[in-house]
Amino acid sequence: MYNMDAYLKTLTSNAVKLTKKIRKNLDSKYEKEKLDGLKRLIAMISKGRDVSEFFPDVVKNVASTSLEVRKLVYIYILRYAEQEQDLALLSINTFQKDLSDKNQLIRAMALRVMSGIRVPVISPIVMLGIKKCVTDLSPYVRKIAAHAIPKCYQLDPAQKDALIDIISTMLGDNSTFTIGSVLMAFNQVCPDRLDLIHPQFRKLCMMLGDMDEWGQITAMDLLLRYSRTQFLNPIGKTSALTARAKKEKSVVKSFYSDDDSDVSHHSSNSSDSSSDDENNSVDQDLAFLLKCALPSLQSRNSQVVLSVAKLYTHLAPAEESYKIGRPLIRLLRSHRENQYVVLNNIVAIVSQRPYVFDQFYQYFFVRSTDPVFIRNLKLDILTMIATESNITFILRELQEYVKSSNKDFVTQAIEAIGRCASNIPEMTESCLGGLLKLAYSKSESVVAESVIAIRRLLQQRPDDSIVLITQLAKAIDDITEPLARANIFWLVGQHCSQLPTVAPDVLRKAAKSFCSENEHGKLQILTLGGKLVALEGASSKTINLLFQYVLNMARYDLDYNVRDRARFLRALVYGDQKQLAAGDQDAEAHENGDAKEPSDHMEDMSGFEYSEKGLNLSDHVKAILLSEKPAPIQENPSHGREHYTVGSMSLVLNRVVAGYESLPEWPTVQPDPSQELAVGGGASRYDGQAGTYRGAQTLDKFLESSSEEDTSSSGGETDSDGSEESSEEGSDEGSEENSGGSDDDEKEEGKKGADNHEEEEEEEESDGSGEGSSEEEEEEEAILPAASKRSNGRR
Amino acid sequence: MIESLFVLSPTGKVIIEKHWHELIPRRVVDYFNDQVSKAMSAGEDVTREDVLPIISTPKYQLINVYRDGLTYLSPVTKEVDPMMVFEFLHRIPDILQEYFGQVSETVIKENFVTVYQLLEEMIDDGFPLTTEPNALKEIVPAPNILNQVVAAVGAATSVSTRKMPHGMSNLPWRKAGVKYSSNEIFFDIVEEIDAIVDSTGKAVSCEAHGNIQTNSRLSGMPDLTLSFVNPRLVDDCSFHPSVRFNKWESDKVLTFVPPDGHFRLMSYRVNMPSQQNLPVQVKPSINVGANGAKFDITVSLRNTDNKPLEGVVLTLPLHKSTTTLTAQCNMGQYMFDPVGKVLRWDIGKIVPRERAPVLSGSFGFGSTSSEAAANAGYNIGVEFLINGHSLSGLKVDVLKLINESYKPYKGVRTMTKAGRYQVRA
Repeated sequence: MYNMDAYLKTLTSNAVKLTKKIRKNLDSKYEKEKLDGLKRLIAMISKGRDVSEFFPDVVKNVASTSLEVRKLVYIYILRYAEQEQDLALLSINTFQKDLSDKNQLIRAMALRVMSGIRVPVISPIVMLGIKKCVTDLSPYVRKIAAHAIPKCYQLDPAQKDALIDIISTMLGDNSTFTIGSVLMAFNQVCPDRLDLIHPQFRKLCMMLGDMDEWGQITAMDLLLRYSRTQFLNPIGKTSALTARAKKEKSVVKSFYSDDDSDVSHHSSNSSDSSSDDENNSVDQDLAFLLKCALPSLQSRNSQVVLSVAKLYTHLAPAEESYKIGRPLIRLLRSHRENQYVVLNNIVAIVSQRPYVFDQFYQYFFVRSTDPVFIRNLKLDILTMIATESNITFILRELQEYVKSSNKDFVTQAIEAIGRCASNIPEMTESCLGGLLKLAYSKSESVVAESVIAIRRLLQQRPDDSIVLITQLAKAIDDITEPLARANIFWLVGQHCSQLPTVAPDVLRKAAKSFCSENEHGKLQILTLGGKLVALEGASSKTINLLFQYVLNMARYDLDYNVRDRARFLRALVYGDQKQLAAGDQDAEAHENGDAKEPSDHMEDMSGFEYSEKGLNLSDHVKAILLSEKPAPIQENPSHGREHYTVGSMSLVLNRVVAGYESLPEWPTVQPDPSQELAVGGGASRYDGQAGTYRGAQTLDKFLESSSEEDTSSSGGETDSDGSEESSEEGSDEGSEENSGGSDDDEKEEGKKGADNHEEEEEEEESDGSGEGSSEEEEEEEAILPAASKRSNGRR
Repeated sequence: MIESLFVLSPTGKVIIEKHWHELIPRRVVDYFNDQVSKAMSAGEDVTREDVLPIISTPKYQLINVYRDGLTYLSPVTKEVDPMMVFEFLHRIPDILQEYFGQVSETVIKENFVTVYQLLEEMIDDGFPLTTEPNALKEIVPAPNILNQVVAAVGAATSVSTRKMPHGMSNLPWRKAGVKYSSNEIFFDIVEEIDAIVDSTGKAVSCEAHGNIQTNSRLSGMPDLTLSFVNPRLVDDCSFHPSVRFNKWESDKVLTFVPPDGHFRLMSYRVNMPSQQNLPVQVKPSINVGANGAKFDITVSLRNTDNKPLEGVVLTLPLHKSTTTLTAQCNMGQYMFDPVGKVLRWDIGKIVPRERAPVLSGSFGFGSTSSEAAANAGYNIGVEFLINGHSLSGLKVDVLKLINESYKPYKGVRTMTKAGRYQVRA
């Protein structure tokens, strides 16, 4: 409400006039004038002004004969009902009447507005309204009813049980238009009642592709959670290596070809025994879900595509996940905001499964027009997907970025080269070569960055770095960037034992330029000197003199860190030489008195004193100064994203956002849906049955409508399924016997009917499958019917 | 859950706000504006486009979309799939475009009530409800010339006579009872080339994407089958929800009941046999010295099917320290923007086998020129389009119609144009 007051002040008279006019309009008997007044009000609402004072005038018009007027009245009521609860109640009557209107849109609108009025008193009425609309013939009205459920729950949480009953009834709805909203209500009201999903699982999978885009997103969320609690982990049974081999095998085939979208097929083709094992480990129902989700990768809605990727990342075995690569790449052509989210998710996926994207490296090349955040993500991905086969291209590209006029970008590109090199040991050599070339660049920041990158790399592989260090040491005259020089000094010092001739010379040059170095440079020169002296001992007079010279320079340096370091090194290196130490102590005392050193300097002094008492540090000078330094771990800036669920906000921000729930861990034992059902109350079991039956009906419809596709796939499936089923059902037998309660039997009877019905259908459809086998199945199911409760949809 | 929406003008003022769940106070917008200006003052080449699409604050995550100068800001308090929010936020200008023909501050202000009603219908309590333009048009009538005139004349009677349409059709994307006197449907096959070409003329990365923009003006509930002469040329498709996936999988034909009006039927990736297919070659040479540079850029045609290249524009962003530029060209005209430091060469039309356009000249760095200026790389953005040419060679074969008795007129146009096409110098 910026400037609202000032605005009102200047226009007070006008505002009063306007108020009067709107009032008059609302009271008018002409529709047109009413409409005019309402439009003014809505415009004011949308500008964020408070026009609640008109509530009584507006609510009078709720029963207007003009739909135009009524729609606007509804919008107004929705906005202000919370503030004017008593007056809002006046409108309820009209809505109740509208719920029986002939026009579906009016019925829907009435329920929508009624449930949107946040007045707790009316929750029983809303409840009645929902119940009425749930059975409405129009799918649109049912959709609105489903949307009203969470709203009613928020109004009055005590209604939860009744609402869950409604949801479980609605889960049986066969309209693809409605079901997405029902699942949304499920996720909002009772996300943990996964037992309600058991009978619907296969139906939901089937309907997935036909739901509207937002429904698909909700459905996949739910199915992901369901799968994580109900199936055993199929991921991780294959090593990345075999996955890569597999991928290469299957990529040759066309991407969406029918056969490779079917998991069981995939296995039956390949002969080696290990892959057969894998496939047995993928639950059939899970495989079915993954198969049903696959076509949604072709959706125009980016989130739908990402949701499928989410399913495949968190549910599919490693060798399946390459299927999401290409579609995610496609999203990179979308709006930049979408690119941002996709790239973040690709980073997370790539850190687990780099082989999904390594062939798409050129899609991550940076364009000069890319916004900063996109650019950085692309660089991260490039370094993560680099392999021996694509590294040459990636490196060439990264070197191109170094030419950019944006300094940050250049820095990051050089860092990226360094990371690539350390990821792929085979390429380190050529990366180092490239970096060394950059170290002679004219741009100072490039030089600094590349020397730092070289230093990091050399630390990781200390063995064969002498040549490079010698080269760098020679270049020290040309390199002016202080940070780069500091890094070279450190490198030389660290390897001085292998550089008997070069290192002292570097120290000589360093001593000469000591005054012009910055703080880091000076510190490193001191360390270099200390290391050399520690190594050579007192044998080399020149080195000693050089070091003394440097120490003396440092003693009077402006920076106390440098003075501190000099004093420390002097004590450490020359500690046992009494007269030197004494001289030094004098100096210390002098300095302490003079220069107002911070008090923590005393610690150094005391350390020195300890050494005099017997704990002689200087005996260990070599160990202290020349110890192996652990190589720095080059952490990727986007490290940590892989812990979050793909697609979530927490992943993008790389921190837990309020309301984030991580995915449940895979169960360790196969959960048995039939037992859960037996434990659940009577109502849910009843609903479960109803759902199954309806589910079967949809199935038939589906089979009819898309018979071609089904026959083509089912023919193959029965062949390969044969062996798997026998083993799977063998294992189910055990669990079945445990749970043989009388309740179960009852339910099984009901289900069997549906099953038989199903099978007849199936037989008609696919002539290929032998009759013998189906009879066998029937027999088996008679023994253990509830075991494959979810799967009965398909058989 | 998508809780609220603020549409902000280019200056950061709220044009319209809508809350679907609970009221989110307006000071969020002030905070957002502060963050934007803070981000933009971070560096001289930071633009509004570089501002993060999700700005994280302790309470709200400020999800924002910047499009055509307007900011669509949606603060959320809880975990939500950000892609869904972005997808939805982008649908808003799409729908407004469909309703009003253009999206701008003025358009929204002139149509407050319609926009507000649309927003009301698109989301219910934080969840997308109706987002198909056809379905929305059933519920919220689009302004047309007729009812504008009626409103102007003041014919009050017509208001009450207009009835709520009865038919929500079973297909969410198509409205019922559409009638046209002449039934026609137009397909525009537009293919865009994205490429990064290095200074030697070799494509570092090169891909092409096509999409079929459709304008359907057919009566009733037509069920169409569109087949291609060479469907195998396309790969990795995505479809409008109306297209039946299965049919495409099995027969490589598109079967669909189209929405009424404009929609994108399908988008696909073109299998590029080789990078030699690039229709145009841009040869830049820039010799940079300490105080300036000499450059010349030559454009030549390749593989355009003997069709002329139209709307050719080259943009060359120069280093920030550039102060002067002189150049001459044998075709079109060039312009140097001394504030944005961009050289723009508008060539226009290039006809095959005529002389190749050349732009040559020099530019100088100002007194503040550093060595960085001398080392900086240059990128040339290229725009062009070729009418009647499709890079992939995709051709529509037949359009069959069932369910309706009339014979529709089918129009097909093809066009190839530059997408994100960039040449490095």
